[in-house]
Amino acid sequence: MAFQKSLLALSLVAGLALVGGSVSAADQKAKAPTTPGAKAAYTRQENFKQQGAVFKAIRDELKKDAPNMALVSTSAIKLKNSAIALPTWFPKGSGPESKYATDAKPEIWTEPVKFSAAVKRLQVEATKFQTIAASGDVAAMRAQAQAVGGTCKGCHDSFRVPEEK
Amino acid sequence: MGDEPSDTPKVRAKLWDGPTRIVHWALVILIGFAWWCVKANQTEWHLWAGYGILGLIIFRLIWGFAGSASARFTSFVKGPSATLVYAKTLSKRSAVDMPGHNPLGGWSVVAILAAILTQAVTGLFSVDVDGLESGPLSDRVSFETGRLFSKWHDLSFTAIKLLVVLHLSAIAFYALYKHANLITPMITGYKSFETDPKLRFAPLWRALLGAAAAAAVTWWVMKGLRL
Repeated sequence: MAFQKSLLALSLVAGLALVGGSVSAADQKAKAPTTPGAKAAYTRQENFKQQGAVFKAIRDELKKDAPNMALVSTSAIKLKNSAIALPTWFPKGSGPESKYATDAKPEIWTEPVKFSAAVKRLQVEATKFQTIAASGDVAAMRAQAQAVGGTCKGCHDSFRVPEEK
Repeated sequence: MGDEPSDTPKVRAKLWDGPTRIVHWALVILIGFAWWCVKANQTEWHLWAGYGILGLIIFRLIWGFAGSASARFTSFVKGPSATLVYAKTLSKRSAVDMPGHNPLGGWSVVAILAAILTQAVTGLFSVDVDGLESGPLSDRVSFETGRLFSKWHDLSFTAIKLLVVLHLSAIAFYALYKHANLITPMITGYKSFETDPKLRFAPLWRALLGAAAAAAVTWWVMKGLRL
């Protein structure tokens, strides 16, 4: 019985350690950056979070039967501007060598032509989306939102460290 | 492996009803399929698998209160002292003639159901990194919260994997050490007992009613809680 009790205690401790470990890993990530590279990586992540939020707002609206068109078209402009600014988010030194927790792959800087082409695809589709959003055609917007998301995925597949599966 | 060299007469009696067995094996198949979908980048199918799993879990919870005797939580969720008493008998090489989950197995069922429910619910709010696919309730949370749900979805799947390993280890332990076959009853529904436990089973109509209720709730969630 003592054995079973200690086994139970041991597994409880192991479970807590597992949770604690992942929490402290998250803390590590949130530490304020100090070097220029780390700062750039931090800013990039903030920008991507904003871009993700803008795109999510569009998609949430388009899920509805009667989307809020004003919200979609202002978000479409934000998305387009964000896509145009995106190449400036990747200064040299802001990759893994920055020691900041980043999912940016070194290939972004070692294969700049391929990376620029991937970014360009987003810019083209986001611009197209903005035009369609201004037209008011919801069905076309839904299709174009998929095209925009496809360019996100296309770039992530090559230049972002894949999430654990 | 299950047949003990015993000369006591054994009674073959029904232990697990159809709904409980169907839920068990459907969960095995759908969770496996949902996992494969992630690996194969089949997000749309992953969502469908998730809805199926959510429906099964809701049904199993209903069945835990209104189902057959061996499926009810009141029949197998025991307090710490009863659990410890049972744990003390673990090292005995014969299985206890218990009609259903033993206290430790009962807690394992509760843990696995809780983990699968957590898995399904975190999935509903998850947002993927591309913004291509997201759970049906993700419009209720911000992008960053949705991404956080996605991380929790990942963590709870680790919990499920650990619990499945524990589950399979326990089955192997009962088979090899205690010479008790737990697998066949979960397939056929029947088990050999020293004495007939005379379990009570819920009628089919109640299972159908429970399934309809589970399907309705799942459908409502799929529609983003909108009618």
